[in-house]
Amino acid sequence: MDTLSYLGQGFGVALSPYNLVTALSGTLIGTVVGLLPGLGPINGVALLIPIAFALGLPPESALILLAAVYLGCEYGGRISSILLNIPGEASTVMTTLDGYPMARQGLAGVALSLSAWSSFIGAFIATCGMVLFAPLLAKWAIAFGPAEYFVLMVFAIVALGGMAGDKPLKTFIAALIGLFLSSVGIDANSGVYRFTGDSVHLADGIQFVVLVLGLFSISEILLLLEKTHHGHEAVKATGRMLFNLKEAASVFVVNIRCGLLGFIMGVLPGAGATLASAVAYMTEKRLAGASGKFGKGDARGLAAPETAIGASCCGALVPMLTLGVPGSGTTAVMIGALTLYNITPGPLLFEQQPDIVWGLIASLFIANIMLVILNIPMIRIFTRILAVPNWALVPVIAIITAIGVYAVHATTFDLFLMVGIGIMGYILRKLDFPLSPILLGFILGGLMEQNLRRALSISNGALDILWSSPISLAVWAVTALMLALPLIRIWRRRVLQRRALANV
Amino acid sequence: MILQRIFALALLAVCAALAVMAWPYQAAFSYEPVGPRAYPLLMLGLMGLALLYLAFRPTPIVRGEDEPELDRETLNKIGLCVALLLVFAATFESLGFIISSILVGVPMARLYGGRWSSSALIVGLMSIALYVLFDRVMDVPLPLGLLDVVEN
Repeated sequence: MDTLSYLGQGFGVALSPYNLVTALSGTLIGTVVGLLPGLGPINGVALLIPIAFALGLPPESALILLAAVYLGCEYGGRISSILLNIPGEASTVMTTLDGYPMARQGLAGVALSLSAWSSFIGAFIATCGMVLFAPLLAKWAIAFGPAEYFVLMVFAIVALGGMAGDKPLKTFIAALIGLFLSSVGIDANSGVYRFTGDSVHLADGIQFVVLVLGLFSISEILLLLEKTHHGHEAVKATGRMLFNLKEAASVFVVNIRCGLLGFIMGVLPGAGATLASAVAYMTEKRLAGASGKFGKGDARGLAAPETAIGASCCGALVPMLTLGVPGSGTTAVMIGALTLYNITPGPLLFEQQPDIVWGLIASLFIANIMLVILNIPMIRIFTRILAVPNWALVPVIAIITAIGVYAVHATTFDLFLMVGIGIMGYILRKLDFPLSPILLGFILGGLMEQNLRRALSISNGALDILWSSPISLAVWAVTALMLALPLIRIWRRRVLQRRALANV
Repeated sequence: MILQRIFALALLAVCAALAVMAWPYQAAFSYEPVGPRAYPLLMLGLMGLALLYLAFRPTPIVRGEDEPELDRETLNKIGLCVALLLVFAATFESLGFIISSILVGVPMARLYGGRWSSSALIVGLMSIALYVLFDRVMDVPLPLGLLDVVEN
């Protein structure tokens, strides 16, 4: 019952006119950012951090803004994948499979509104899950000491590699780069300057916004130079804009199933929306069997990944709010934003600042409803935005990125650092390294080092504190399982190949 | 493949250099058993191991279908783009936001295939609009640089 009264309080915060306007502008900005090529939720949220700070938004409004932008970006990415057959980001690849065929059949409006509806149900299920489980998890998390936290972070990093599928080694290296970069700057415990090269600008460490915008915006700008093809014709959204009851009913079971699946995948660190959408699509395809026309415009094939994405986006907020451990690149950015406001996410957040937590949860409900409603009248305008050519877009992205970086500390050193990090990010991308583990590593690195040192201070240097409690032992066991996962997958693939060879 | 090996070895060299740099990090006096150098050294060590493995057994690079092979022309463009970004960073404060973003933005728009006249128009308008939006409306201070004279 406590939870319900808190939730009511949260709606009180989220429904204040000021926060409603914030959520509305957040969803609009997010949709536009998600539509544009080269900008995804990570850039969108990162760009808005310095701006939210400069505007002097109170922390709960800032968090509502960022969450609304996050949801809006996911929604915007959907528009380009359904109308253009170009996935705006990795998670919407699955949406193109059935969304684009539907649009070609003249059902563009139906496909868009149905995807918005599916995503809404997914988010709704996940938000209910969050209301139920987050306080429990937070209560449980208070039992975590420094040693347990350290093990949990090791788990988060390893889970990233284990879930990433085909390139665990590169994911691991990327995470280590992030973990290392977090140690640049003055050491909080001893006052030793680490890796600063006697530069004043690095004494404070590498600024989070600089790292994010360099890695994602600058490298994307360079990547766009390679893509020379022009003239993608968007499918015109004409005819019926809204799905009918029959269509909604036909995908309802899919919605429920994929919503639950997406929530669980979102809560697990490292899995995230990309994996959730892929698993949801594959599962539904298998369940439908011969009756489905998946890949040729089946409404279920559109609803499944979209529900899963919506649910996993909200699910990813659970570990972030309760444990302070981000589950995805975007939630890592949001933690970076919270630390700017001097708020440490973690179990105590639920007790000390319930307004922020429950206001955020309530505003997720509201932002989702706004997206469904906005969708119908705005589709025509959004499709126009898709026609903006790259030559007009890229310089503006570069300029806005520079503003975002400059707004943090007002030094040109940060601008140079951003370009340097951008070049590094471009090279890493060309070599097929994933970039978001760098972000997660960077966020987790500081916490990981502090918790390790605190734990070893408690035990006076004896390492066995790291595996002395039942909690840490359990987490170690799951970590070992995650480490084994890619090995098992490789082994299974080999067995299958051998069998295939034997049959020939 | 060969590129990946070179990259892994280069990054390995960087790791080694950083480890040498980290070696003398020691607190003058300390209350805790773990000093400031253990954690970075641990990370560098793990990274070194992973990179060694990568150098011996590089993984194949999966390329998207809309991602063409890098040719000399694209590499030149990328070099130019990086140079423009560096010029932007260098002139951001001295010339001021509006002038430097026009100076850099117009050639950048050309690089992505815009025409001179339309690029100049869009970038010019956008720099002024963004300046007004951020500096005046949203209180994000941006340098005026040379245009300082105009304002006073």
